Amino acid sequence: MNNKANPPVLEVLDYSLDYRTHAGPFSALRHINLEIARGEVLGLVGESGSGKTSLAWSIMRYLPGNAWEKTGAIRLSGEELLQKSEREMRAIRGGRMSMVFQDPSTSLNPTLSLGRQLSEVLVHHRGLTKRQAWAEAEARLAQVGLKTPAQMMHRMPHEASGGEKQRVVIATAFACDPELIIFDEPTTALDVITARQILDLLSELQAETGVAALYISHDLALVSRVARRVSVIYRGEIMESRDVESVFRRPEKDYTRNLIAAVPNPARRLAGPAPENTGRPLVEADKVTVQYGRSSFIGSLLGRQQDQVLGNNAVSLSIAPGEILGVVGESGSGKSTLAKALTGLNPFSGEVRFDGRTIRSPRDMDKAYRRDVQMIFQHPDASLNPRHRIAEILSRPLDLYGLVSGAAARNEKIGDLLEEVRLPRDYADRFPHQLSGGEKQRVAIARAFASRPRLVICDEITSALDVSVQASVVELLLELQRQTDTAYLFITHDLNLVRQIAHRIAVMYRGDLIEVVAADEIGSPERADYTRRLIDAVPTPPAVEAGS
Amino acid sequence: MIEILKRLLRTPQGALGSLIILLTIILVVFGPWLAPHDPQAMSPLARYKGPSADFWLGTDQYGRDILSRLLMGGQATVVMAVAATVLGTLFGALVGTTSAFLGGRADEAIMRTVDAVMSIPSLLFALLIVNLLGSSTFNALMAVAIAFAPGMARITRSVALTVRKQDYVSAAVARGEPSRFIIVREMMPNVVAPVIVEMTIRISFAIMLFATLSFLGLGAQPPSTEWGLMISEARAYMHRSPWMLVWPGIAIATVAIGFNLLGDGLRDALNPRT
Repeated sequence: MNNKANPPVLEVLDYSLDYRTHAGPFSALRHINLEIARGEVLGLVGESGSGKTSLAWSIMRYLPGNAWEKTGAIRLSGEELLQKSEREMRAIRGGRMSMVFQDPSTSLNPTLSLGRQLSEVLVHHRGLTKRQAWAEAEARLAQVGLKTPAQMMHRMPHEASGGEKQRVVIATAFACDPELIIFDEPTTALDVITARQILDLLSELQAETGVAALYISHDLALVSRVARRVSVIYRGEIMESRDVESVFRRPEKDYTRNLIAAVPNPARRLAGPAPENTGRPLVEADKVTVQYGRSSFIGSLLGRQQDQVLGNNAVSLSIAPGEILGVVGESGSGKSTLAKALTGLNPFSGEVRFDGRTIRSPRDMDKAYRRDVQMIFQHPDASLNPRHRIAEILSRPLDLYGLVSGAAARNEKIGDLLEEVRLPRDYADRFPHQLSGGEKQRVAIARAFASRPRLVICDEITSALDVSVQASVVELLLELQRQTDTAYLFITHDLNLVRQIAHRIAVMYRGDLIEVVAADEIGSPERADYTRRLIDAVPTPPAVEAGS
Repeated sequence: MIEILKRLLRTPQGALGSLIILLTIILVVFGPWLAPHDPQAMSPLARYKGPSADFWLGTDQYGRDILSRLLMGGQATVVMAVAATVLGTLFGALVGTTSAFLGGRADEAIMRTVDAVMSIPSLLFALLIVNLLGSSTFNALMAVAIAFAPGMARITRSVALTVRKQDYVSAAVARGEPSRFIIVREMMPNVVAPVIVEMTIRISFAIMLFATLSFLGLGAQPPSTEWGLMISEARAYMHRSPWMLVWPGIAIATVAIGFNLLGDGLRDALNPRT
């Protein structure tokens, strides 16, 4: 690969980086070796904290003040970047190499029009006049598949959708025909279908321009779609660096093998068989409608039209005792709104029938209902009060529903709850910030199960976790389900995961319930149009060889 | 706790502020024993004296030792200021957190009332209360506490609004916790950091406000050794002996600066991201 005729665009040689912290030096990257040839996409896969973003910033030469580069070299087309001054780098950044970030809504300046932001790059790096730059920018927007580039130029970032904004960011990155582009999880903040379109666009543009690309992601299945070669990074070290196929089929390192095994694969069912149809469902939602937006008193006096957003539009579904019902949909499809309506966090109209009782508003939810219906939230950091010890967090449901009496019995029960979610008993004395993300989510699960509920609503509970942690949390949930026969409403945007664990799947789109189908029938061609598009958009991991 | 203290002492403002406040506390607690003279003993032969070996900071119009009076008055001044601020902060924090938790119309009603109260300058408001209730030390304390509550309510509410959106509050609501528990146990501990910072800064305002009230003759009454009152009395003799005015002024300024620096230091110490 290292022949004289075609030198690599990016070359990272034996690069190590430390951060100086109060607790002593922290080693972020250790002896990294990478190279990307012209026209090649290299995938960089790692979990949070593995150092993948640090590496991106090292290449861009934009490191925080406490960074300390110990050894190594970073070369762009043979030129050493470590020796460039800040002034020289400013010309290279955005010109010869550029970067696309995760969240388009924060990487664009909200006070400048999209056209201005794009043409400024062209004026600055290519020395065009303002008029030329504007015309060129418009052409670039057309190139990234925006239908009305001329209008788009005048729009402000908040007037464009997430997908459109990411296209503008991509157009900006490609604007100066760079040699190298770094993509830092460019589709993570986008919806599944939009993400798919962006990925297709990237492959197209990349083939067209022959740019070298470093594609950073935590999602192995996704990387296998864009990159031919992949480097797996773990705790600042490259574990293996080979072509995607062989990494998937014959992983060399244990770490890579576990990582691949943890990637949800719809072909591998994890849940037990669906419960027998016993007739009466546990929960029935009957035309549950949620509207957001408060009606202003003065506004209604003046007879002004009230802006109300429909969160859920007459959603009707049912969950049988002991059943796992998956709910999937894009962000804003009303999944979480439904969960909040069922737990009394949102006012709703329509009816919820729970075990024969009819509930028409959050006011009808008494202690017995709340004990039977528990919710687990997405971010354990946010759902556990940072100022409470684990013991206090777990004791609340016990005290509130009068499940234990006496301090000794309570402490005993808290220990039992911790053991149930496979945490040591002495964690009771800790604060949430002393636990890792996965451990925190286990505490949240223990809290939900403390009252022996009959329905647990899981709202994206694994999406803030790394893949390997996600796998163990899911495994724990399924085990608890087998023991207690609790029904789950499992909300997620991860189709592969939900196909592994749910008995039935409800598909939602913009507040409407599209359909509810058995998990093994979701791939069939008779499904609703939207469901089929959703399934097509999700990258499935390549099959792993048996026995690996 | 120890971690916060360490971080506090690492910043120059925090270290200096802590030092000044520590000295102040020592002088306030042991002041009466340290005083070289009886603060009320008059000596007609030694009036309007400048600093000397006998009277370190000089004497006032009755020949009373200024140093002894300052040491005595520390208790009245500093303790009152801290008590009034703590009282006002607690009340304001409770109102602000409740308002943020309730939201909607209740929030509007509470906050507009707070706005109305805030539109009256705190000194005027304190004057009004003292005039209504009569001038005494306790009434002055209440006046300052009530005058501070609306501002604290506003600050607490802005912090509590972000806390309100956190999932642990949603989790508590979904669990069916009573509102009182959510406000006091779930939300209050999480708004405490910015409120404490604001409180330390406000203590210096309270000292000045008390001094002003005493200066206007509405707080402590002679022959009390309250610092503001000392300045008020000294004003009449300013031209015969400036020392009478300067020393209590320096004392007030030092304590105020001390609390301000401590507040600055705490702000950095309680926010690990800076």
